[in-house]
Amino acid sequence: MAGETPTREQEVETQSGLLRQLRGNRWTGLAVNILPSMFWLITFFLIPLAVMFYYSFGQRGAFGEVLIGPEYLGLQQYSLFFIPDGASIVDTVWYTIAWVINSILPFTIHLAAGEPTPYVQLTLKSIGFGVVATVLSFVIGYPVAYYVGRLAPEEYQDLLLVLIILPFWASFLVRIYAIQILLSGNSVLTNALGLLPFVTPGQSLMNSRLAVMVGLVYIWIPFMILPVYASLEEIDFTLREAAMDLGANRFQAFRRVVFPLSMPGVIAGSLLVFIPSTGAYVIPDLLGGTDSQMIGNFIAEQFGAAGNWPLGAAGSFTLMGIMLVAIAVYQRYGSADLV
Amino acid sequence: MSTETPQRTWLSRIRSRLFRNGGTILAVETLLFYLFLYIPIAVLISLSFNDSRYALVWQGFTTKWYTDLLAGQTVARVDPDAAFTALVHSVEIALVTVVVSTIFGTMLAFALDRYEFPGKRLFTGLVYMPIIIPSIVMGISLLLFFNIVGMALGLHTAVIGHIAFDISFVAIVVLARLQSFNHTLEEAAKDLGANELETLRYITLPLLKPGIVAGALLAFAMSFDDFVVTFFIIGNQNTLPIFFFSMVRQGITPGVNVVAALIIVVTMSVVAVAQWFEGPIW
Repeated sequence: MAGETPTREQEVETQSGLLRQLRGNRWTGLAVNILPSMFWLITFFLIPLAVMFYYSFGQRGAFGEVLIGPEYLGLQQYSLFFIPDGASIVDTVWYTIAWVINSILPFTIHLAAGEPTPYVQLTLKSIGFGVVATVLSFVIGYPVAYYVGRLAPEEYQDLLLVLIILPFWASFLVRIYAIQILLSGNSVLTNALGLLPFVTPGQSLMNSRLAVMVGLVYIWIPFMILPVYASLEEIDFTLREAAMDLGANRFQAFRRVVFPLSMPGVIAGSLLVFIPSTGAYVIPDLLGGTDSQMIGNFIAEQFGAAGNWPLGAAGSFTLMGIMLVAIAVYQRYGSADLV
Repeated sequence: MSTETPQRTWLSRIRSRLFRNGGTILAVETLLFYLFLYIPIAVLISLSFNDSRYALVWQGFTTKWYTDLLAGQTVARVDPDAAFTALVHSVEIALVTVVVSTIFGTMLAFALDRYEFPGKRLFTGLVYMPIIIPSIVMGISLLLFFNIVGMALGLHTAVIGHIAFDISFVAIVVLARLQSFNHTLEEAAKDLGANELETLRYITLPLLKPGIVAGALLAFAMSFDDFVVTFFIIGNQNTLPIFFFSMVRQGITPGVNVVAALIIVVTMSVVAVAQWFEGPIW
């Protein structure tokens, strides 16, 4: 198209019959538009996942090599992952339930004869981290979304929203490092906390579950606030006034009218916080100690120092299973579209 | 509500009073939230001017870490040359990734918006997956794949991996724009004698530009900032996040503070400027 545009007649003449036919065919446009991405996603995303899935049925040889010939394939990694030595499936389920109950209760009761495998404990702990991070993000984030979307003066709403998104664009690792600085011994924060009774000034808060939780909430809370903000924006607030005219007080109007209407945002936000929090790798690695490593760290370790690739692959697909369950729950109770 | 006991009315009176002052409470909570969001960043930036080797306790203002690093001297194990090489790698990877994934992703968005085809729902699911699955799973599965097909790891494998997740980000952002697109404009152009390419060039692309720009910016940020996927598939090369990660693991030092402050100030200003020109991104 350098300068001169050919007239329609010239253009039609230069087109051979085949090309014209191709352009006329309704599938040509689809194929041209979709094939490059389809090729890329299948070759460099789906096939690698399939390879990993295949590995998860393999075995580890005596010298750390991966045995994936047909004679080695089986569910051994998954049974190693889920089933404690000598336990039946019913035992396993019961051990797991008992362990969860015991870790929620503040005191110990003896419910089961055994414990789930360390891998299952780690998985449940990761889910726990994900759930707590989601709940905290909701508790902190919902009021913020409400204020920004409803109560803030109109001319500042965009600015407030941009200020929530802005850190999301700034480097993830740098923000984790900033949290590390604040939680370290003798930092501004830890010294300030020393002013409270019963707190030793300057004591480090790093390498703990608390530090991991602060990191998770700090990084992912915008993903809770934005969907909640979006769904609060769409609510017709005359409904709230109608409820109050009909005798509801402010709390009832919120609980029965506004909150249910904002549920799509809450559910979308919960998914967007839960998934990356449960699968976190960098945050527990940098902020956590030995008691706060998560399944992501376990997977990385199996593919690194521990050198048990099939077990790591089985761990990866367990994590993927958790994500799928979360998404299924979302599609059952949330609106149909993701993002 | 007829069954309300005295306790419940008492409780609801308190709740109601709380909700009457709700505006103030929410404003305070929101203020605390913004402090939570920005205090770590502010502390980080101010500590990069701290005149102390221990980097955490405030001793006085200095710019010597900046001048030393920018003059090419190593400050507390942070080698500025290595940091610069890593930065160049990051930019190279991000630029190639953005070009490829913006073109492919935009075409993909067109395909998903304009055509119905068998298996579309399944394929749309595949497009969303790279965004949803944990990056550690994506990184390690790519590592296994490159191992099996015998590709040497390096910057090119990192580019391949980045494109694999960035296509999805671009496609979803552009798709959102396409779905609010007024198709009658294209029909009008065709009625006035434009052919497909002219319609695309003069009508469709200009109208889609904000979506494509937003998609490209997001793709750049995702590629530039990615640590986990890159970490597993880049071999022994460094990008800025990987360089930074290894520094952070060795502890908090004035040199790391300076690098961190520079990264955060530069990225946030670039985004702020982009917001200014393009309107809200995302």
